[in-house]
Amino acid sequence: MNEPTVEINGLGRRFGRLRALDDVSFSLDDGITGLLGPNGAGKTTMLRCLATVETPDTGRLRILRRDPGRVSERTEIRRRLGYLPQEPGFYPNFTAYDFLDYLAVLKELVDDGQRRREVRRVLDAVDLGDRAMTKIRKLSGGMRRRLALAQALLADPQLLILDEPTTGLDPGQRLRFRDLVSRLGEDRTVLLSTHQTEDVAALCERVIVMDRGRVLFDGPPRGLAETARGSVWLAEQRPAGGGVTWRNADGRYRTIGDPPAGAELADPTIEDGYLLLVGDAALADVA
Amino acid sequence: MSWHVDAPLLRRYLAGDTDLAAALSIEAHVSGCGACRALLPDDPAWLEDSWSGVADRVIVAQRGPMERLLVRVGVGTPSARLLAATPSLRRSWWAAVVAALAFTVAAAHAAAGDDRGLLLFLALAPLLPVAGVAVAYGPLADPVHELTVGAPMSGLRLLLIRAAAVLCTTVGLALLALPLLPALSWTAAGWLLPALALTTVSLVLGSWLSPVRASAAVTAVWLGLVALVAVPGADALMLFRAGAQAWFAALLGAAGALLLARRGSFDVGGGR
Repeated sequence: MNEPTVEINGLGRRFGRLRALDDVSFSLDDGITGLLGPNGAGKTTMLRCLATVETPDTGRLRILRRDPGRVSERTEIRRRLGYLPQEPGFYPNFTAYDFLDYLAVLKELVDDGQRRREVRRVLDAVDLGDRAMTKIRKLSGGMRRRLALAQALLADPQLLILDEPTTGLDPGQRLRFRDLVSRLGEDRTVLLSTHQTEDVAALCERVIVMDRGRVLFDGPPRGLAETARGSVWLAEQRPAGGGVTWRNADGRYRTIGDPPAGAELADPTIEDGYLLLVGDAALADVA
Repeated sequence: MSWHVDAPLLRRYLAGDTDLAAALSIEAHVSGCGACRALLPDDPAWLEDSWSGVADRVIVAQRGPMERLLVRVGVGTPSARLLAATPSLRRSWWAAVVAALAFTVAAAHAAAGDDRGLLLFLALAPLLPVAGVAVAYGPLADPVHELTVGAPMSGLRLLLIRAAAVLCTTVGLALLALPLLPALSWTAAGWLLPALALTTVSLVLGSWLSPVRASAAVTAVWLGLVALVAVPGADALMLFRAGAQAWFAALLGAAGALLLARRGSFDVGGGR
């Protein structure tokens, strides 16, 4: 039996008294997996461990069939891994080309010709080919986000770790991003964290929901929606009780939880399932 | 449209046998004439080569002055690119180093005849590379550190490339300042070994602390030592005489060995 691309067993990570990861276990293979969770759920710590920039305190981690705890194996993992951090950081006086060229050198693309071709390839992949010589300080927030995504694609990685990749993208850019990532996910492993349940519905064949450092759900997006079946209600009047309630575009009130008086059952969505699982933490994010 | 590109002219153009005026004229015409454009060969490899050539010229023209200088003196383009991103190799850093050195040289002249005037220069010179290395690497100094630390070529190798560049430039500037001191003697060069030793110690401490904190700790200890020898009646230049140099050489060796032993700790913990 083939070893999965990523194998995580009982992973734990603490920052002082805060337990960022608490006995997390799952494995990943080719395809796109979404990591959903409210702020502070442990998503970024999880992704940093997988990107080999964070060391877990406990548990076993295998990435691309190697042990990131060993220096030589960690380097080999990094050669085949693309990582987009939540806040990647830039040199504002570099051009988009210079920035990618710099990171291409760090990815050990030392042959000048090969590096130029690779930089142009990833710039074109994120529709920034015509901005190659623009200084980063003159790029919009969405363009910077695409530039950050471009660096993750350098050297054609087998494992892509994307932390909030669609933040700051407009609807058109988000659509192009989905097209790009769905193509990438055909022959490699992509793990992306997001707050956007639409991204998960559109892109991912599997979703993992985390909260307070623990995995609450691991399965297909439809399965996440199904966890809310029988708990989603539509009512003409705003219910008096607690629970998660909002007004739909058609003027009716959608409630997750106990049935309000006179309400009828509704078909659940991924968002319903997510809100039911995470509850108060997700509402705190919205607030 | 008064003319079209005929077959013989097109052959000469594609072979590169036309003069510049004719080539420009053909290109201006082809850009507006679909019929003539259709006569051009559809060769993706040729097109890619042409674009690569254009892009390469544009990229070379866009390199910053320091990167161009490094390439001109024989540094490979990948290393030059890594160095161009080093925060402490910017003009503002060099200006600060020159200003600090100028101040200490002026102080040495003002206190001519008193060793404590020279001590200011000798005490500061080893701290310049320590400070430069502190802002050359790490999450506090480098906005791209999170990406850097997750790359295969990262950690100690990048740190050493940048530290060597910072060391060369700051030590070079301090050496240029030496002849400007009022009384030139071998003692005036006694800062060189402490500079190497303190920089290496700060690199080693950087495997536990952030580079900025490591540098601050080394600076504090060094200034404490300098304060001890600066008191009236003590030999103000004691740290820079032959006896002390042996201790700094030993410190340099020990710190270098420890740095090698700790090399694995430089490429995790990017910091947020």
